[in-house]
Amino acid sequence: MNKSLQKITVYEPDNSLKQGYLSIFIEIYNEINKNGWLIYQLFKRDFLALYKQTFIGIFWSLLLPIVSIGVFVALNNSGIFNAGIIDVPYPLYAVIGLTFWQIFSIGLVACSNSLVNAGSMIVKINFSKKSLVIASIGQPILSFSVQMLIVAFLFLFYGITPSSTILFLPLFLLPVLLLTIGLGFIFSLINGIMRDIGNMLSMVVTFLMLLTPVLYAKPAHGLLAGISRYNPLYYLISIPRDLFLTGKVTELNGYIISCIFSVFIFFICIVVFHLTETRVAERV
Amino acid sequence: MYCRIPFDRNKGGGACLTVNDNTAVKIENVSKKYCKSLKKSMFYGMKDIAMNAFGLSSRSERLRKGEFWAVNNISLEIAKGETLGIIGPNGAGKTTLLKMLNGIFWPDKGRITIKGKVGALIEVGAGFHPLLTGRENIYINAAILGMTKKEVDRQFDSIVGFADIGDFLDAPVKHYSSGMFVRLGFAIAVHCDPDVLLIDEILAVGDLGFRVKCYNKIVEIAKNCAIIMVTHDMSTMARISSRTLVMNNGTALFSGVPDIAIQHYSSIFQKEKTVVSPGGISLIEFTVDAKTENGHFAITSGAPMNISLKFFSEYNNDYITLILAFVHSSGEFVAEYNSWLNKEELKLPKGNHTLHLALEPLHLNTGIYHLSLVITTKNRMGHLLVIDRLLSLFVNGERFGNAPYQINGVVNHIPQEEY
Repeated sequence: MNKSLQKITVYEPDNSLKQGYLSIFIEIYNEINKNGWLIYQLFKRDFLALYKQTFIGIFWSLLLPIVSIGVFVALNNSGIFNAGIIDVPYPLYAVIGLTFWQIFSIGLVACSNSLVNAGSMIVKINFSKKSLVIASIGQPILSFSVQMLIVAFLFLFYGITPSSTILFLPLFLLPVLLLTIGLGFIFSLINGIMRDIGNMLSMVVTFLMLLTPVLYAKPAHGLLAGISRYNPLYYLISIPRDLFLTGKVTELNGYIISCIFSVFIFFICIVVFHLTETRVAERV
Repeated sequence: MYCRIPFDRNKGGGACLTVNDNTAVKIENVSKKYCKSLKKSMFYGMKDIAMNAFGLSSRSERLRKGEFWAVNNISLEIAKGETLGIIGPNGAGKTTLLKMLNGIFWPDKGRITIKGKVGALIEVGAGFHPLLTGRENIYINAAILGMTKKEVDRQFDSIVGFADIGDFLDAPVKHYSSGMFVRLGFAIAVHCDPDVLLIDEILAVGDLGFRVKCYNKIVEIAKNCAIIMVTHDMSTMARISSRTLVMNNGTALFSGVPDIAIQHYSSIFQKEKTVVSPGGISLIEFTVDAKTENGHFAITSGAPMNISLKFFSEYNNDYITLILAFVHSSGEFVAEYNSWLNKEELKLPKGNHTLHLALEPLHLNTGIYHLSLVITTKNRMGHLLVIDRLLSLFVNGERFGNAPYQINGVVNHIPQEEY
């Protein structure tokens, strides 16, 4: 074995600070790049564990949107709930919104709990904790892909041809993913230290969904309209949806700002995570 | 001499070892602090994270209120092919040191430099998912332990062979017996091909056959690997390790050859002698014909031992039984002299008495023992005098075996005629 090829590892306090900020990005890139297979294995572990002892497996992820949309359609038809003025069939509108939303909501909760759930592993084995957080987003992405079956079915059912922009779907998904993973990094850290975050998050996510025009059209005025104006999730979900359904975009500026915001959040959070992840291992 | 190379690191910073090409691990003045209160720990944790996130140093070298050094100023160098044993009482900081070497925790002071890949047998099977099969868990666990897909594919048959769990390979891990669980975990962990292997209390698992297999595997790995092993099992430690670190309260008490290390370890547990005298008998004086080494009597294993005991008795005691108990520093009761069983008819009437005891050669294993003295009534029902830890005894010897009593014997080899 060639000794000069052996990697040298140094552990000392405030290591990254001594290295300088620029090197952090290279380190992060190298770590994620090197751990691709680990991320896949961790994802596989989550996936198999979730559906192994079930009969219908991954098709569970079809059930949730069908049931919840069903309820909203019923509420809408009976006039209890007013979704606002929507040009396209409501189920189609709602399903696309909900699938995008679930990437964020399920993904954020999964990422935030990833470190805590792996608790004993983290304090016993030294492995890439970023991989753990990133792998947690795999499950929502997979569910999303399966849920696209419902979307495809509804397009066929209503005889609507989606705009050709739907071919760039993965690209439109990217900002949502970056925002989710970014926030997931931070919340998983804080959750490792204070369990309050994990408890709080699933509540907050539900609350947020009601505040964000996912299942209803954005009202023209009022409090909700004001909130939506500054809600990046509204843009990240609504703009792609409008684009797929009608091929027309109204609030492009908001969308672009939201995308930049997501990328920004992602980078800040991953750097903070990188600098502080060992602190959390001590306290998980 | 250390020089820094930026960007070349897994988790830590870059540096190159040029001091000694054979050095695998270098620990320099390493300290780690813990906080006793969970709530304070949360607060400090948030504060440290905030400081680090803004690119400020968390000033980890200072103790804050409620914090203490769990590992304090440890320095060591371990070469390739060397096996270091770490011993110490519970809470001495052994596992914390091991976790720092593994990179799970970072030191608050000092620096650890490691050359090559680190493998850890800290808790095998950590990260197994109970619902997944052994086969699935092998891939996942190996990935977590840092193996690449290529390595696992190559080593898969060898891992399965080592674990030897038969058909259970395709059964969910939750249906495994605890022995199978550990075997599979161990099999994966030892196939990581590490340059530095960290072991924490791992050899005490599984049945005898598997323990022997593990032991042999570790000895095989040890040839081109530096091993750092935390254990409470002194005999395994003495057999495997070439050097031993004794830790107590986070500090290094001693570092050197195993049998002297064991003496230092034993001295941590030294307690005061206690005397209970319900029968009005008191021990005035005792002598042992042995030389003394810093407060201990020292004898050589296999030598006879003579003890003189001078008593004062307040009452007329009829037949009594005198018992000398030899207790190993681990607390194990290893040998006993009993005057009654030796058919000695001892009486202690009122007044002063001197008893000379000549004991047969003692083939005790090398280590530290305590002698306790008990005087009972003839039928051994009533206690007249109990002196716990009357004296401590170093048994020196060239041999260091596993059992407390080492038997002398001769092998007569009669060659068989070959056909």
